[in-house]
Amino acid sequence: MSDISTNNLPAQPASVPLPPPGSTVRVTCCEYCPVACGYKTYTWPVGIQGGPAADQNAFGIDFPAAALSGKWPTENMHSVVRVNGELQNCIVIPDGDSEVVNVGGTHSVRGGALAKKLYTEDGPTADRYTRPLLKVDGQHVPISWEAATDLVAELSRYTIDEFGPLAWGMKIYSYQYYENVFVGSKLALGAIGSPNYSPHHAPADGDDVPGLSDCGIDAFSAAFADDKAADVLFIAGSDPYETKTVRFTTWQAPAGVPIIYVDPRKTFTADYAEKNGGLHLQLNPGTDTCLYNAIAREIIDQGWENRDFIDQYVASESELAAESGWRRQRFGQSFEQYRDYLLGRDEFSLSGAEQITGVPADKIAETARMLSGGSGEQPKTVMLFEKGLYWSHNYENTASIGSLAVLLGSTGGEGRAISRMGGHQRGGQKGAGYPIDLSPHEYEGQKIEMDTERWFAEGNTRFRWIVGTNWLGAMGGTSALRRITADLISRGPAVDSTDPAVAVRRLKARMDEGGTVIVHQEIYPNESTDMADIILPAATWGEEDFARNNAERRLRIYERFVDPPGEARPDWQIFAEVANKMGFDGFSWEDSNAIFEEASERSAGGRRDFAALVEKAKADGKRGHDLLREFGTQGLQTPLRLVDGELVETERLHTDMKFKSDSGKANFVLPDWDAVANRNGILGPNTGAGELWVLNGRVNALWNNLFDNARRKISTERWPANFLEISAEDAAERGIESGDLLSIESRTVLDQLGQAHTGGFTAVAYVTDTVNPGVTFTYFLYPGSPANTVTSADSSLQPISLRYNFKLGKGTVTKIGTTDLGDIMSFAPRNLARVN
Amino acid sequence: MKNDEPLLRRRDFILGGVAIGSVLAAGAILPLGLVLRDDEDLAQGIGGVQVAFFPRTKVGTIGQVSTTDPLFFDYPLTAQSNVLVDVGQRAIGGIGQDRSVVAFSNICTHMGCPITDYNADERVLGPCVCHFTTFDLAKDGQVVLGQATQNLPRVLLELDGDDIIATGVFRLISGYANNLGGVNVEIAAASGATTTPSDGATDE
Repeated sequence: MSDISTNNLPAQPASVPLPPPGSTVRVTCCEYCPVACGYKTYTWPVGIQGGPAADQNAFGIDFPAAALSGKWPTENMHSVVRVNGELQNCIVIPDGDSEVVNVGGTHSVRGGALAKKLYTEDGPTADRYTRPLLKVDGQHVPISWEAATDLVAELSRYTIDEFGPLAWGMKIYSYQYYENVFVGSKLALGAIGSPNYSPHHAPADGDDVPGLSDCGIDAFSAAFADDKAADVLFIAGSDPYETKTVRFTTWQAPAGVPIIYVDPRKTFTADYAEKNGGLHLQLNPGTDTCLYNAIAREIIDQGWENRDFIDQYVASESELAAESGWRRQRFGQSFEQYRDYLLGRDEFSLSGAEQITGVPADKIAETARMLSGGSGEQPKTVMLFEKGLYWSHNYENTASIGSLAVLLGSTGGEGRAISRMGGHQRGGQKGAGYPIDLSPHEYEGQKIEMDTERWFAEGNTRFRWIVGTNWLGAMGGTSALRRITADLISRGPAVDSTDPAVAVRRLKARMDEGGTVIVHQEIYPNESTDMADIILPAATWGEEDFARNNAERRLRIYERFVDPPGEARPDWQIFAEVANKMGFDGFSWEDSNAIFEEASERSAGGRRDFAALVEKAKADGKRGHDLLREFGTQGLQTPLRLVDGELVETERLHTDMKFKSDSGKANFVLPDWDAVANRNGILGPNTGAGELWVLNGRVNALWNNLFDNARRKISTERWPANFLEISAEDAAERGIESGDLLSIESRTVLDQLGQAHTGGFTAVAYVTDTVNPGVTFTYFLYPGSPANTVTSADSSLQPISLRYNFKLGKGTVTKIGTTDLGDIMSFAPRNLARVN
Repeated sequence: MKNDEPLLRRRDFILGGVAIGSVLAAGAILPLGLVLRDDEDLAQGIGGVQVAFFPRTKVGTIGQVSTTDPLFFDYPLTAQSNVLVDVGQRAIGGIGQDRSVVAFSNICTHMGCPITDYNADERVLGPCVCHFTTFDLAKDGQVVLGQATQNLPRVLLELDGDDIIATGVFRLISGYANNLGGVNVEIAAASGATTTPSDGATDE
């Protein structure tokens, strides 16, 4: 016998236990992307397992499972967990019987490994936070819940009394479950009444797609079925295959609808579009507005606009003047104003736009023809976009794509829509309104939401409660923010005692000396938690009954099926306990269902309106969560109505041709290229100094900030390090090959106060034709590779909406060494599609 | 094959992948803890770990293997289709002079669709016709891009003279709860590799 090659065999079982008949079955959805595929969980005691015959397992099928059956539990769908303290097997598997979202039980690489998210005492998730911690002499030590919530309540009260509510801040996920967001925001915005409140992804609260909203269009108006019903899909700033996978594989690709795909990178979906009757518009970074303006101008030049829609449903100049919203009043446009703006600028001619965007004129013209139908019948067009678009330039990009949709009348009808694809799922039902009048920030005399990062950097925040986000990594100007935070937490005396009474005195003294106290409520350690004075361990998905919507407004229940780790508690319980200790009324709920029911009242009238569900539940003598559970993974599409005592769903919005404006009409919004061009000049790479664009985004096998995926083999084997996609030309110039270790650095990153500073990170080179020369791309939150160190944190560049230009990073790229990753990590092209 | 005949005997197999779940007997897997009727050594496992034993099967000769046109063979059970190819560079688990000959299950570990498209330039199998997953055959069947939550199962190979011998499968084969287990399964014959996959393993 010779040449045995069994190298690289990690210990891994080649089997998965099957749930026996009678296993406990619960309903949930995927935790991750906004598609939110339906899943079922099966739990049963260890030591027992089902067999391969249909009557021997809970799936009721003979094994092997047939292709596409949606009933094959992979090894990554299994974990051993605790249920009521008892060790149990757990399978988390897509709902193979699903007729919505993930029809037939398909899934992404992320959802397909949800079971590996579950807490195990001796597995990769063993570092979940299990007890409250207090930082004493620089180390986090366990304390009791009683002491922890006493500390948070007392320090909060002290902050408000001594420094006012604006000095008390909360930075919190915008998207998490209704029950948690509701209580956190009820405390921060309502009870405390502080405008120092912002979501995980932005320095300020408020609308992420203000340009589209100012067109009068809801950002989540479409249903997934619209993708299938359309004649042409226009997708910008997000690769749906990589990041909204099942929407692509179930609702987009199988329909054979041509895709016009807009992305500076030639990704998988770009290649797919080109091979399957569509187009890839590979624009230069930061030039979306010019591109959409040019497409619109070509449509108008040719007389291909949707004249009927414009005549009936688009507001006139005088109607716009009567609008109450200041942004619409100021930036809203009639068709004539929009047309005149587009026709008056050479940049939006086909040749002018080609020069700016890098997209060939004939492709722009062809896009105009495909979207409008040219001189023929108007096709049904669905336009979808996400953060590549609106985290490049926020107001103008959302205004220009929204206006293009208005020009086409793609505003709400079967196969006619414009929508965000979504970054997270939709659980942001707030418990109180934002106190805009208290915000210290304004735009030309109009109050706008507080830039909480600028406020913090100026030393105005004395107490900050970070909830469920890798705050420092997720904000722009990460290096500056980290340095500022380190300074603010080092003011005054150190906490040198585990006695909470001593600790609270020390922390108050820090505030008195201008410092800040940081509380971080989390499930895992991340790159911000080391800054925290107090860490509160949270329970999460699967550990409590929750509810939320997906990107087509589909409301489902996410049931509890495992124990939280150690003493971890659901976020809502932590908020409520602190609120009660602070003496606030209205924070006593017996369970998460009671919050869900209360939240339903505040949802009324909006896109997530589920008041009718709770009303019906009460009429039927049921709990709200229980009635929702009856709808399983199918759930209900909101807003919901009760008609003759029965629940009626809403598949898509704006079908009544009523828009979100005072007049009820839609309108165009000034797609201001000058503002964008000016900003590109400030943010763009200094090519003379050898800088390249450093774009960033999500990657298929990684999820947002890797909170679970850093602990998941399928992700870390694929990506043992962060990477930088770089073109062969730029790589050759710098002597770079795939697998080399690179330093990416810029000396002119703008911090929270608009000052230039140096930021940088390291990553492994991935030489690829995905990016053009001059452009690189990296994953944005790989642990130890903080890519937002090279993105600006100067919100004054976008004063209308105070958003960061996350997607427009820059830096020099230098080889600083080699790695041996080439032996184990694939550097094969990731953009190979097929003719379907 | 008669139903009451023992399928596996110790002398016929060597240690392959470790399976903690169950072992094969008489066409169906038995839950852990039940005793194999014909071979108590097997049931006890080795070192306290239950192990699965795979048939040693000649699947081809080194001279047959191509860098451009992959060969296919069933192993260890019929309908468990695999691809055999020379990736043209040292590969994880590779055999032969350049350690470049590898074999993988060509049933997609996402949802079970067969993948027959081999891209010799990039050494990748795929994209799968169903949901477009692509696997790097030089890197242990790693998912280059796609939705499978596991690398392709790698067939463990040995070279015996010019003969390529399959000795086991590392990782769970798509659709199975156990690589050797299922309802109405049978061991694949040592028929050798062919240029087309067996029935049920084409991408039509």
